[in-house]
Amino acid sequence: MVKKSMMLVCALLFGLSLILSGCGAPAGKTVGVQSVQKQGKSITVAVQDNFVSMDPGDTNDTLSFSAEKTMMEGLIGFDKSMKMVPLLATSWEVSPDAKEFTFHLRKGVKFSDGTPFNAQAVKVNIDRLSDPKSNLKRHSLFSLVDKTVVVDEYTVKVILKQPFGAMLNNFAHPAALMVSPAALEKYGKNIGRHPVGTGEYMLKEWIPGDHLTVVKNPNYWRQGYPKLDSITFKSVPENGSRIAMLQTGEADFIYPVPPENVQSLVGQSGVTVKHKPSIIVDYVSMNTLKKPFNDPKVRQALNYAIDKNAFIKVVYSGLAEPMTSEIASNVQFFSPQQPYPYDPNKAKALLKEAGYPNGFDTTIWSNNNSTYIKATQFIQQQLAQVGVKVKIENMESGTMDSKIWSVKKPQDATIQLYFGGWSPSTGDADWGLRPLLSKDMIPPQGYNTAYYQNDTVSREIQQAIETADPAQRKAAYDKVEKDIWQDAPWVFLDTRDNIYGYRNYLKDAFLLPDGSLDVQKAEIVK
Amino acid sequence: MPDLLKSPAAAGLTVTEPPGPPLPAPDAILTGGTVSSPWSEFWRKFRRQKLAMVAGAFIVLLFIIAIFGPVIAPYRMDQPDYNNMLAGPSLQHLCGTDEFGRDIFSRILVGTRISLWVGLSSVLVSAFFGTILGLISGFYGKWLDAFIMRFSDVLLAFPGILLAIGIIAILGPGLGNVIIAVAIFGIPIFARIVRSSALTLKNTVYVEAARSVGAQNKRLIWKHIFPGAVSTVIVYFTMRIGTAILTASSLSFLGLGAQPPTPEWGAMLSSGRNYLDQAPHVAVFPGLAIFLTVLAFNLFGDGLRDALDPKIKS
Repeated sequence: MVKKSMMLVCALLFGLSLILSGCGAPAGKTVGVQSVQKQGKSITVAVQDNFVSMDPGDTNDTLSFSAEKTMMEGLIGFDKSMKMVPLLATSWEVSPDAKEFTFHLRKGVKFSDGTPFNAQAVKVNIDRLSDPKSNLKRHSLFSLVDKTVVVDEYTVKVILKQPFGAMLNNFAHPAALMVSPAALEKYGKNIGRHPVGTGEYMLKEWIPGDHLTVVKNPNYWRQGYPKLDSITFKSVPENGSRIAMLQTGEADFIYPVPPENVQSLVGQSGVTVKHKPSIIVDYVSMNTLKKPFNDPKVRQALNYAIDKNAFIKVVYSGLAEPMTSEIASNVQFFSPQQPYPYDPNKAKALLKEAGYPNGFDTTIWSNNNSTYIKATQFIQQQLAQVGVKVKIENMESGTMDSKIWSVKKPQDATIQLYFGGWSPSTGDADWGLRPLLSKDMIPPQGYNTAYYQNDTVSREIQQAIETADPAQRKAAYDKVEKDIWQDAPWVFLDTRDNIYGYRNYLKDAFLLPDGSLDVQKAEIVK
Repeated sequence: MPDLLKSPAAAGLTVTEPPGPPLPAPDAILTGGTVSSPWSEFWRKFRRQKLAMVAGAFIVLLFIIAIFGPVIAPYRMDQPDYNNMLAGPSLQHLCGTDEFGRDIFSRILVGTRISLWVGLSSVLVSAFFGTILGLISGFYGKWLDAFIMRFSDVLLAFPGILLAIGIIAILGPGLGNVIIAVAIFGIPIFARIVRSSALTLKNTVYVEAARSVGAQNKRLIWKHIFPGAVSTVIVYFTMRIGTAILTASSLSFLGLGAQPPTPEWGAMLSSGRNYLDQAPHVAVFPGLAIFLTVLAFNLFGDGLRDALDPKIKS
């Protein structure tokens, strides 16, 4: 029997070691000692999630856009700080009423399948995006387009149904990456599996759930680029494995690096970890249609009840900034507001005034990645201090999407609190406010999970896009941001940093503030 | 697993030292001290299992903690300290603090009750239904037997954890549903063991004797067959508790069981895995708690089996 017991002990120890090793964290801090030299000119990028589609117009995750941008280019691009720069269009004009947009195109550019890039190609792409019948996820960015006119071979004019001052930013959005018209015709609905663009790289293979590889486009128009032979994107959901891959050199670039692991990577030889302010805001939306959140006092109380600095310390290891408006400070037309200070007593007083002296019970929904799980637990702890008992439901994103967007009538929505993040990839206030807080954007139309339907705010948001004049737009957004801030349909939390890591020999691979990768100009320096 | 099936069950019919209420009970009373009672006989044998004795003592300690845990815990289990997060073990915090600055030692103490409760209650449910089904199956045979056993085969064909995940997927996450899930996948195991005992016991001379004097089926099952199967059930009951605790922890580890801030050990282990490189203690202590508890129940079960198995002569 002793022998049997020993066996049992061994089995259990083995099991425990399995549990521990299954967690996949790096075994120690001595891994990064090998040389920082790199053989060949191919790199591997390890990312957290799977790629969904390679059809830019039908993509709504930032990660898929990252891979698409290596193969395709838009009329307008973004520089490192998300300022618009000419790309396939060399210049453009906007009519004063913000209804007509004329683009002058770059000459001598060809898609990687040999199709020439010209005004006709642009028209095919914009027509496809603006036609509701194409059933594209990003149709909403181009639903205002009335028609696209070919002026001459290298000039194209887009005419809108009504003025829209932020339209240029929509053209810079990755959804408007140009796809080869010949490929669109050839592959039809399957274009998402066969992307063809004018970009630095071309698709070699894509095995969903595992990896996606792009190879050099030999006929790329910009002299001297691309600098690499190939880029392989690998989906590595486990944080620990991704970090280990960077340490061992199996991956040359990883994103994201969890904030709690930054300390352990900093100072390791051959590895650089960077964190930069993003335009991603984290917030808790409150269903303003339902009790108790229909009362602004309750919503303000929750804003006072949460210590944003402690939130940042606990959830992001200090690598974030408290929100000072509904949009991040580096988004166009940001207008700073006075943050709600941490004041649990004031929160309790407000709850009492609103008729909830003993608090209430509620439920919070969020994604189930480890950062979000931690965030919701922190919110639960803080709200418990003022008597609000929160039940946490962390769901897989598919499940949550269907729970939020399958709602037919607003009054049937079961959503109460929702913790989420938003990254306006146009870099403009419009895409940071209208889809989330305007009254015509309640699910399933948009992302207004607060069911916030303030007529004044909705009208002001509309006014801000009816002109292209920056001064007028700024004035309108100043009012919008102030009104929403006071009405508090959200608990305003933070703007997080983007954190990524790379091997030191890698140059010009970085993250844009919206959380998308920019690796198309990357090179290896020996 | 094969040992478990063969030893006590097959041995039950020789009835030299019957477990539970013994057959020759009247004689024992008449002859007084000359025949030792089954309890003292059991105790005499069990005492020699040193490892099982230690495990038993540990289990007693666990029960004491389960009852008094929240009282003796130095901190409230959900009391955060944002200035002292992921701190290593110290005199203030014996097992260190977790990612919210909560005292891990206190959380483990409070979590003991949850783990024991999940383990005991789910195995109790399994044993209850499994025993009834096993007795019916073994005693009546024929189509009832075929039906119950084929159904057990279907359940046993799934790996335990997979079946539990499937049940949770239907019922939804939560500790209550974990108990149900773990209980369901334990039922066929008990049913099989009890059936095999019942099959052999129903053909023994004393059962036939009882039948010939006109005992009803119900009486035969409960008075004559069930007691013979009890020792097997007890042994397996103890063994299963360890497995049940482990399964429940695994489910919580996967986020299907206990919901925050419940200090369930598996859930604690799960959140601790994110900090393995900078604060291993967050995962190690809950892992150790699971490890020791499961080990204790298994060693205790081992000892019980050896003590109750009449084939092992003292």
